[in-house]
Amino acid sequence: MTSLRAREVTKTFGGLTALAQVSLDLHPGEVHGLIGPNGSGKTTLLNLLSGYYRPDGGAVVLDDEDLSAAPVQRRARIGVARTFQKPRLLPTLSVLDNAMLGGWREVRSGFLGTALALPRVRREERLLRERATEMLHGVGLGAVISRRANLLEHAQQRFLEIARGLVGEPRFILLDEPAGGLTGAEIEHLSSIVQTLRGCGIGVLLVEHHTDFVFRICDRVTTLDLGRVIKHGAPAEVRTDPEVIRVYLGA
Amino acid sequence: MLAALIAGLATGALYAAAALVYNVMFSTSKVLSVTTGHTAMLGGVFGAWFLQTWNIPVPIALAGSVAVGALFGLITDLVAIRRVLARSDEHLWLLSTLALATMVQQAVALWWGTEPKPFPRLIPQGFSSGLADQKYWLPVALAAVLAIGLELFYRRTLYGKLFLAMSEDSFAARARGIPTDRIRALSYVLAGAMGGLAGFAAGQLTFAYFALGLTLTLNGFIALAVGGLGSNVGALAGGAALGILSSVATYYLGGEYQQTISVGLLMLVLLLKPEGLFGARAGRVV
Amino acid sequence: MSVSLRRQVALVAAGCALATVPWWAGDMYQLHLAQLIGAYWVLIAGLNLVVGFSGQLSVGHVGLLAIGAYTFAILAGTHGLHPALATACAGGVGALCGLLLGLPSLRLPGFYFAMATLAFALIVSEIILAQSDLTGGGVGLAVPGFPAPFDTPQGTYWLILLVAAVVTWLTWNVARFMWGRGLIAIRDSVVTAQAAGVPVFRAKLIVFVFSGLTAGVAGSLFGSLQSYVTPDTFIFELGLFFFVCIIIGGRGGILGPLVGTSILTALPELVAPLAKLGTFFYGLLLLVVVLLVPEGIGRLFELALERLRPRKVESAPVRPDLERLSAAIRKGQR
Repeated sequence: MTSLRAREVTKTFGGLTALAQVSLDLHPGEVHGLIGPNGSGKTTLLNLLSGYYRPDGGAVVLDDEDLSAAPVQRRARIGVARTFQKPRLLPTLSVLDNAMLGGWREVRSGFLGTALALPRVRREERLLRERATEMLHGVGLGAVISRRANLLEHAQQRFLEIARGLVGEPRFILLDEPAGGLTGAEIEHLSSIVQTLRGCGIGVLLVEHHTDFVFRICDRVTTLDLGRVIKHGAPAEVRTDPEVIRVYLGA
Repeated sequence: MLAALIAGLATGALYAAAALVYNVMFSTSKVLSVTTGHTAMLGGVFGAWFLQTWNIPVPIALAGSVAVGALFGLITDLVAIRRVLARSDEHLWLLSTLALATMVQQAVALWWGTEPKPFPRLIPQGFSSGLADQKYWLPVALAAVLAIGLELFYRRTLYGKLFLAMSEDSFAARARGIPTDRIRALSYVLAGAMGGLAGFAAGQLTFAYFALGLTLTLNGFIALAVGGLGSNVGALAGGAALGILSSVATYYLGGEYQQTISVGLLMLVLLLKPEGLFGARAGRVV
Repeated sequence: MSVSLRRQVALVAAGCALATVPWWAGDMYQLHLAQLIGAYWVLIAGLNLVVGFSGQLSVGHVGLLAIGAYTFAILAGTHGLHPALATACAGGVGALCGLLLGLPSLRLPGFYFAMATLAFALIVSEIILAQSDLTGGGVGLAVPGFPAPFDTPQGTYWLILLVAAVVTWLTWNVARFMWGRGLIAIRDSVVTAQAAGVPVFRAKLIVFVFSGLTAGVAGSLFGSLQSYVTPDTFIFELGLFFFVCIIIGGRGGILGPLVGTSILTALPELVAPLAKLGTFFYGLLLLVVVLLVPEGIGRLFELALERLRPRKVESAPVRPDLERLSAAIRKGQR
């Protein structure tokens, strides 16, 4: 099982360099934290890994395939899922329908087959529905499966995004500030879910501001500042690194 | 052939004016309103009504038409834009402005009739003036006045600068205490007034006609897209290009394929330079 | 999106009612109205996937209707082709034109796309007028009817009902399986659709081509109903009407737009003052719906029902079931 790698990636916007030769490896079955002050390039790196930006230098690689020029949809197809800083859901659909959307890449039927309601289509639908239901129960949303997504509370929205990502059977999942707006208890739940994902061999990238949370559950942590990696290693090392403390953690 | 060029320039000037109206509305709301062409249509129709039915002197009829356009601009903002922008659905303003445009166009059709009615002379002039006919040079002069006026407005006046601030970043503007709702309403009033003025000036060219609303919305948009969204110079260039191309094509090929040719121009420009001749490259949004 | 028994019974009842319309409809005029609704619905059902599901605001589908009608009139009328074959060709030509229109314009942002479809409708009108040798120009063309057993008013109605039923079934299928979710994702959150792997442009184009097919077929039925078509039959206001039926009926559903089409077609006929207002009325309805109930009249009924039978939305704290979670993940990995 190979890793999802950002190799010396550079990204500029107009005159501004958001990322300068940043490298990061996300291994299967590990939880990798990505921290840094605002403007350090965390979201840019996440967007590069998930395919919303193209790197101006360097490459994003998985399974010896250079993904740099590949569209966003390719990431989903090869097993890279993500959540968003502000949850993006389909407000008029139910929680279950939202989760099932994550299983799009499993769908082999085309438009014509779907229009004719071929047996294969019905079977795929049934299997996806079962899988999505299990995921929703798994992350803790069993009570609201039929609720319209725009009626969800914030925490429920965040967990729904995770469930949606998981329905697609990803090898890696990139979480964009998943703890934002969560209570302590909810962060505990999030922790246990992330650890379960690790236990199943999924590689988790955790972009976060809740540093306690990050240092508690991550196997490795990368710290960015002004578009460069300033420290990379085990949580204990990073937490005590003077540079990291200076630019981000404070006294 | 010269006649075709002049006529084309004149219609092009009206298209350019519509594109300027689009720009002003877009600057503060990031909305392209379907009612753009209708501000000019109202200016033409009400102008004809004031002048002919009520025998009002030209300057006052002009002021009246501008006022009607301005009022319609305000209605567009209050009814179709304000409530809609608050919601997150992006498509909604297209639906609401489309609805309002339809209502206005049909209401005018019911009141004014569906036949184009002639627009009276604004300045005493015979009807055999050929190329010097005011129906040609009034729109051109108007487009120039509008463009220069806008430039001065943006550079020299406080409100102009507020418009620009909102156009750059409306969140930041609001954070600085700028009353964005009121500024936007003001910009729609200004845009409507511009449209009304354009319709009045071009009335002799287009006649007072209810269907002008949608036609001008479309052609003004083509001028805008060709010239580049957000650029006033582009609006002038796009309008001129569209007007002259249509007119010349009509001259050589007959008027049967006018719309097809206009759209062909648009498609060509969009394929080669999607942001238009003078437009800015759009950034990514995630 | 599953179908309960009660729904199925309602469906069968509705089907029976629809099938027997020729016998309980008041007069020929009301039967004609039903035929018209059916023909419109064939187009609107396909357009519904474009406007109501993938969120592409096409206001110019009347152009595709015109293309279908004229193709049918020319093939079946001028060239004597069998009407069934001519209808199939009209559908094919409609689909092809949908492809030609959709390819360049579906990449454009919303307003640009809407304007492109508007321009398309005007261009079709222009070409019809210009190619008068083929189309009869401003004078128009006679459109033949369908052969027995569809040559009576009742027969025509059943033909339209049959085609409408098939198209409804096709679009209902697309709506209730993954494609429906994918299209709604394209409409409401393109970013999410991409993240899930939905091929956004290809999906938009496919449903657009499909809507061209249904518009072409609808054109044949519609033209045959009118028995004579001119360019004035296909004015922009008709395209706007189709569009409004969907928005008012409610995006994201099949039944909503169907009800919307039926009501909006029948209303001006039943309420005389509205007929005089014509398109103004549609514009006003559209504005009211967009401002007050953007999700359509269907949603209005749902909300009313909720007022009558309030179901308390309880706060349900998140409670993960980690065993279930890892079992589900591992199942997928096998």
